[in-house]
Amino acid sequence: MGEIIQEFSARRRLRTKFNMPGTLETTPAAINDDKLKFARQANRRISIIRPPAFSLRNLRGDLVKLAQYRDLLFTLSIHRIKVRYKQSVLGIFWAILQPLSMMLVFTFIFSLIARMPSEGAPYAIFAYTALLPWNYFSSAVANATNSLVSHSQFVTKVYFPREILPITYVVSALFDFIVAATLLVGLMVYYHVRPTVNAFYVVPIMLILTCFALAMSFLLSATQVRIRDVGVAVPLLLQLWMFATPVIYPLAAVPARLRSIYMLNPMVGVIENFRQVILRGAAPDLRSLTMSAVVSLILLVAAYSYFKRVEATMADVI
Amino acid sequence: MIDLAFDHVSKKYRIYREAAETNGGPAALRKVKRLFSGWQDFWALRDVSFEVERGEALGIIGQNGAGKSTILKLLYNITTPSQGEIRINGRLAALIEVASGFHPELTGRENVYLNGALLGMKRREISAKLDSIVDFAGVAAFIDTPVKRYSSGMYLRLGFAIAAHLDPDILLLDEVLAVGDADFQAKCIARINQLRNGGTTIVFVSHNLSAVESLCDRVFLLRQGEIYKSGSARQVISEYEKMLTTITASAPSRLTAGSGSPEAEIVRVSLLNSEGVKTTMFPAGDPVRVEVEYLAHTALQDVAIEVYFYSVFGNLHSHFSTSTNGARLDLEPGPGAIEFFCPELGLEVAAFNVEACVKHRASAFGEHIDHRQVAVMNIGKGKPIHGLFHLAHTWKRKEGS
Repeated sequence: MGEIIQEFSARRRLRTKFNMPGTLETTPAAINDDKLKFARQANRRISIIRPPAFSLRNLRGDLVKLAQYRDLLFTLSIHRIKVRYKQSVLGIFWAILQPLSMMLVFTFIFSLIARMPSEGAPYAIFAYTALLPWNYFSSAVANATNSLVSHSQFVTKVYFPREILPITYVVSALFDFIVAATLLVGLMVYYHVRPTVNAFYVVPIMLILTCFALAMSFLLSATQVRIRDVGVAVPLLLQLWMFATPVIYPLAAVPARLRSIYMLNPMVGVIENFRQVILRGAAPDLRSLTMSAVVSLILLVAAYSYFKRVEATMADVI
Repeated sequence: MIDLAFDHVSKKYRIYREAAETNGGPAALRKVKRLFSGWQDFWALRDVSFEVERGEALGIIGQNGAGKSTILKLLYNITTPSQGEIRINGRLAALIEVASGFHPELTGRENVYLNGALLGMKRREISAKLDSIVDFAGVAAFIDTPVKRYSSGMYLRLGFAIAAHLDPDILLLDEVLAVGDADFQAKCIARINQLRNGGTTIVFVSHNLSAVESLCDRVFLLRQGEIYKSGSARQVISEYEKMLTTITASAPSRLTAGSGSPEAEIVRVSLLNSEGVKTTMFPAGDPVRVEVEYLAHTALQDVAIEVYFYSVFGNLHSHFSTSTNGARLDLEPGPGAIEFFCPELGLEVAAFNVEACVKHRASAFGEHIDHRQVAVMNIGKGKPIHGLFHLAHTWKRKEGS
C-alpha cells in the first residue's frame, strides 16, 4: 500500500470547513504557495495537527488514519480475546455460559413460577434467541465504556487513533456472540426449529446492531474520561434497558397505548427482528428495520465526531 | 526541505482546583461551594513557531516547567494544540517511555508484536525484524515467557530494541538515555548516531547539556513556554548557563546544619572560566576560578573556606581549601570574598555537585560554621582526563638505549 499524499490545499480547507461554536481556531492562514510546495516536495506522508474542529474533510481524514492502523486494531483485538481466557480453566466456554445461565434462570422463572407468553415457541429458545444479540450489545458497551480509562498509560504515552480501544471490545464481544451462537444452533436442533431463507437477514441485522453498539461505545467511553459517573451508571442503565426491550417477553405483550413510546427504543426493532427471522422464519419488518438502520448510522457519525473531538485533549484529563 | 514545522502553536491547560478551604458558613453551604471548584488556565506554550530541516538535529533545553515535554507531546500527537498548527512531513517515532505498552500476561514475543503495532509497525515488518530485535535485546532465552517474569533491565532492553528497529524519518528523544546501565546507554547512543548518520531528523529534549551539545546542530532554549533563544548549540547552552548561574546559593545541604545561627554565611559562589565568564560548563583540564562570597556576622579567627566537588554518587572527588598553603585566614565582620584559582581542572567528564563551607581550621571534617550546596558543574570534553584522580605530570623522550 503506497504512501498517501494529503494534498494540502489551503483554499479548499477554508471553503468547506465548518466549525462548532466555541472552537478555538486559528485565524485562517494566509494562502501561500510555500505550503503547497511543502506538500508536493515530499512523497512522504504529511500530517497536520491542529485544534479539533468538526468537518467532513476531517472525518474522512480520521477514517483514513484508522485504516492505516488496521494492523494495530487486528493485533489488539486478538490480544483482547486471548487475554480474556488465558489463565482460565473453562476458557472459551465462558462465552456461552452467560447467555446460557440467563436463559436457564429466566426459563425457570417464566415457565414454572409465573407463566409468560412466548408466542407458541418453548420459552427457552424464545428467550435465548433474544438474549444472544442482547448480550452482545450489553457486554460490548459495558466493557468499552471503561476502555480508555483502563488503558490510560497508552493514551498518555503512545499515539494511535484512540477509537481502536473501544472497537476492540466490540470485536471481542462479537467473537463471544459467535461462540454463543453455536448453542443457539443446538437449541434449534433440539426444539426442531427449522431455519428459513429469511435467516440470512441476520447479517444486516447484526450489522445495524454493531453500528449501534459502536456508537454507544464511542459516546460512553469518551464521556467516561472526564465524568467517571458514567462507568458506574452504565451497568445499571443496561439492566434497565434490557427490561425495556422485548428480550424476556414478546413485543405483542406490550399494551397498544404504550407501544408508540416503546418503539422509540432503538433496540426494540433490532431484537424483535432478530427473533422474527430466526425463530419464526418470517421476513423482517422492513419499516422498523430501516428506521433502526438510519438511526444507528446517524448516531454512529455523531458519536464518532464527538469522540474525535474529545480525543484531542483526552491525554490532558485522563 | 522542512520536516517539522510549528506554526504559532499555543497550548493551554485548564487546572481544576478543588476549593480547598471553605471555612465559615453552614456545613451544607460548604459542601455546595466545594462542588463548584474554581479553575485556572495555564499556558504551557505561547505562540511557539519553528521549523526543522530534513536531517537536522534539534535540541530543546530549558528549566523544568518550561514546556519541553509539552512540545514532545504535541509532536507525538498525544495532545493537540489549543491554537496554531503543527506540520509533520514523514514518519515520526519517539523513544520516550520505551516499555510502556507491555502487557504483563503476554510473552515477550507477543509483546514485541503488540508494542511494535502500537508504535506503528506493520505485522509483516515486525515478523521480518523479530530475530534482530530479540538479538539486540539479548533476551532470546526468555522470549517465550510472560514479561511479568522479566527483570527491569530486560524489560527496558526489549522495549528499546523494538523502538530501535523503527525506521523513522523523524525521531523524538527524551531522557530515555538517563535510565539503564552504562551498557544500555552505549547501545542507545550508538543506535541514535546510526540514525543520525542515515539522515533522520532528530528532536532531542534533555537536561544533559553535554549530550545535547554533542548530538545537536541547533538548539533552542525554552523559558516559560516561549522560545527565549535559538542558535548553535554552544551559543544557546552558554546562554542557558548564564541564566542558571544567577541562582544564588541554595538551601543548606544535607550535611549537618550547624548549631543555631551561623557566625558566618556563604552568600554566593560563582564559577568562572578562563575568560572570566560565569558558567557551569567547563572543558576538562581548563583553568577555573571559584569565587566565594561570604558574610561574617562576627570576627572569626583561624577559619578555612573550602569548596568541595562531589560526584553524582556522593563521592568527594576533590576540594579547594584556604588551609592548603598554610596561610592563616581571619574574617572581619561584614561581607567579603575569596577567590580560588586552579590552573588545570583535574576532574573527568561528568557532572559534579559543588558545595562550599566555612569552618574552623582545626575542626574535623564535617563540622562547619556554614555549609551550602551551590551548583552543579558540568565538565565537558577537553583535555583527556580519566579516573578518580588526576595527577599532574610531565613527560619527555628518553635519550640513549
